[in-house]
Amino acid sequence: MLELRNITAGYDTGTVLHDVTLVVPDNAVVALLGPNGAGKTTLLRVASGLLRSRSGQMILDGVDVTGQQPFQLARRGVCHVPEGRGVFAALSVADNLRLQASARVDRAAVDEAASVFPRLGERRSQRAGTLSGGEQQMLALSHAYVGDPSYVLLDEVSMGLAPKIIDEIFDYLRQLAGQGISQLLVEQYVSRALELADYVYILNRGRITFAGEPQEISSETVLRSYLGALAS
Amino acid sequence: MWGVPSVNDLGPVIVTGISDGAVYAICALGLVLTYKTSGVFNFAHGAVAAASAYVFYQFRDRDHMPWGLAAVLALLVVGVIGGLLLERMSYALAEAPTVMRVVATVGLLVGLDSLLTAIYGASTIAFKNFLPQSPTRVGGVNIAASDFITLALAIVATVGLYLFFKRSRLGVAMQAVVDDPDLLSMQGISPVVVRRLAWTIGSCFASVSGMLLAPEIGINVSYLILLIIVAYGAAAIGLFSNLPLTFAGGIIIGVGINVLGQELSGSHSIAILSLAPNLPFLVLFAVMLFVPSRLLIEQGVRRVRRLRPMPTFKPQTVGVSMACFALLAIIVPLVAPAYDINDYTAGLAFAVLFMSLALLTWTSGQISLCQMAFAAVGASTFGHALAAGFPWLLALLVAGLIAMPMGALVAIPAIRLSGIYLAIATFGFGILVERLFFTSFLMFGNQYAIRTPRPHLLGLNLTGDKGYYYVTLSLTALCCVLVLLVRRSRLGRLLRGLADSPTALAAHGANTTITRVFVFCISAFLAGIGGALLAGVTQSGSEATYDFSVSLAMIAVLAFCWRLPILSPFIAAFLYQVLQVYPFFRDATVLKYDGVAFGILAIGVAVWPGLGSIRSSGRAQERDQRGSPVLARSAPVHREKVLT
Repeated sequence: MLELRNITAGYDTGTVLHDVTLVVPDNAVVALLGPNGAGKTTLLRVASGLLRSRSGQMILDGVDVTGQQPFQLARRGVCHVPEGRGVFAALSVADNLRLQASARVDRAAVDEAASVFPRLGERRSQRAGTLSGGEQQMLALSHAYVGDPSYVLLDEVSMGLAPKIIDEIFDYLRQLAGQGISQLLVEQYVSRALELADYVYILNRGRITFAGEPQEISSETVLRSYLGALAS
Repeated sequence: MWGVPSVNDLGPVIVTGISDGAVYAICALGLVLTYKTSGVFNFAHGAVAAASAYVFYQFRDRDHMPWGLAAVLALLVVGVIGGLLLERMSYALAEAPTVMRVVATVGLLVGLDSLLTAIYGASTIAFKNFLPQSPTRVGGVNIAASDFITLALAIVATVGLYLFFKRSRLGVAMQAVVDDPDLLSMQGISPVVVRRLAWTIGSCFASVSGMLLAPEIGINVSYLILLIIVAYGAAAIGLFSNLPLTFAGGIIIGVGINVLGQELSGSHSIAILSLAPNLPFLVLFAVMLFVPSRLLIEQGVRRVRRLRPMPTFKPQTVGVSMACFALLAIIVPLVAPAYDINDYTAGLAFAVLFMSLALLTWTSGQISLCQMAFAAVGASTFGHALAAGFPWLLALLVAGLIAMPMGALVAIPAIRLSGIYLAIATFGFGILVERLFFTSFLMFGNQYAIRTPRPHLLGLNLTGDKGYYYVTLSLTALCCVLVLLVRRSRLGRLLRGLADSPTALAAHGANTTITRVFVFCISAFLAGIGGALLAGVTQSGSEATYDFSVSLAMIAVLAFCWRLPILSPFIAAFLYQVLQVYPFFRDATVLKYDGVAFGILAIGVAVWPGLGSIRSSGRAQERDQRGSPVLARSAPVHREKVLT
């Protein structure tokens, strides 16, 4: 179980998250929804150790991991697929995959990834920067497979991609969920996210405004949370 | 004279060349490695090598240790500890703009150079061989054992590094860390460990090459720094990223220098004779001019943050302070002791030189490490024009005008390349001009100096120190006006746009090529004038005044004097040239260490913003406990009816 307790965090320019508490249970997909600027990405950055929270705790499988470095959390099974394209553009596909996998897997990672995304296998020696946007995202996402994590944090992985590729990516996420890998999913396609999710959080202006199961949430609640802060 | 030598004649030369080349290759590999993994091109790489040679000398010859122990200690002190310190510096520079990266490593070069000279003196220290010299006969040529060892070391280093990069996971991580350290960290690899390893290996390579070179040329910091610059040529052949090509480059240059030297040794022309030792610079410049720019990828600029804009002042403030300043400048010769006036005059000439540099570096965001080459062209042209009977002012104008085509020449790499490669190209260019042309009849000639008498103007005899001070002051004021006019004009706006974003400027329909050529020409013009005025102080322009090391010191000094177009050059000139007239700064010890102070200040200015970002999380935490102002101001959030 990945727990964030009373997290307050932000940047030099101001505080973004105020006292946020969120839980990602084992074998569960948690969707994190909210309008632009709500703090979703910041929350993921805290969860993967990229941003140090100002107060609050992070508990991973019962161990307090507050303030640990990203590479330490990664070794404990947290995998963050960042916003944009999380690949090293200058390296080959194969080298990217080797870095994603743990040192034990190393070279075998390419074949593992190719079993999920055959196109990556075909392009193993190509530079990642020369792949198409969809292929780069698949490469970034294969981290969740070859890295053998327990928790995957996904930040807008469908952004800027063709619907057909998004289908492919959601199939992949469903497959990961089937293997019992927990996911914290930040997604702009709300309905797709709700289909996949076991639990939903709505974040607005740095505070959790809803926590529950997808069935409890009406489309009106979602809409209000995206627009409502202004409308109500 | 030019007979075709047989293989036997060339054999020993080629062997020496390969052995020299191996040392250059080791050095270049370290340079490429650190640049590739951190995006910081270490101009001080040569100084690191020199430092290692001195430490080696200290332990072996002064402290009488066995050479093996001394070498290991030197490797430990300079390679490992130095490498770790450099890693800290490069980490603080990770998001710094290219100008500041150059300033930091140039500052380190200036500082180390000054420090080593201050401790061990400027003269060359003879250094006995430490590797066995017993010759082996191979194919009719005697080869010393040390040459074999050197070559073997270089090959092992190249193959080892190559395999490490290709095969090992850590090697792959080393190439990834410059691109996106956060992403690397998210993949379970500590970027700090990777960076430390890269800098340690790189510095150890520099250290080894310094120790290997020491017996050959003796221990002298300037020679060692210059010789290591040879490695730049090798790195350029490897396009600053390919390790096997870098190795090949080192060997090619080593052999090239030795064979060319042998072939040309019959010639009587100094220019032709100096072609061989300058081969690496020719190679470097050729790469910068002819290799497609898409192959020269600037590392680590993806994450660059912008320089903080300089504060702007009210026109009244500027006007009043300028008037006060002008008044001060006018009364200086009336109150200062007579023997100090020439130092103040030289200070004014340096202010013009710094202005030319500030225009280029701060206003247009382009880096020049060869400003003194422009100044030298100005000074020597000035001397020739006066000798040819030109009126004094006309000769001065000609000095500036002749420097302009030089500026345009340097602008060629500036059009094609940007950032760090421009800095490297200008660095190479400055040294090339110095070594190929300074002593030619076109410039200072074989007397190393050229007469530049002072003027009689408007019927006044201005050949005295005071008279010449006022001449220089008026001309400096004119140069200020020129700089201000340029800044106010459309060109000035274009230049600031160029510094901010060349792409956006091009998208607005401005021709950035012409803008770049223009600014280099104007800067060279100013530098030419400054150089000529400087020559007038001593009434003879001498080659040593315009040494390339002055260009480097200038950029280091200018860096910590803010980034204002007029004020900064004056402050820089004061610190660099005038400060030494005051008793405290006249002290021999202080004078010896001035380069150290300049270097440290330059590094400090460059890394300071980076240190800030490292500490920011802690500071932010503190501030939050006191209650964040943003928190206090933000509107209370509408809470939804939470269904939990």
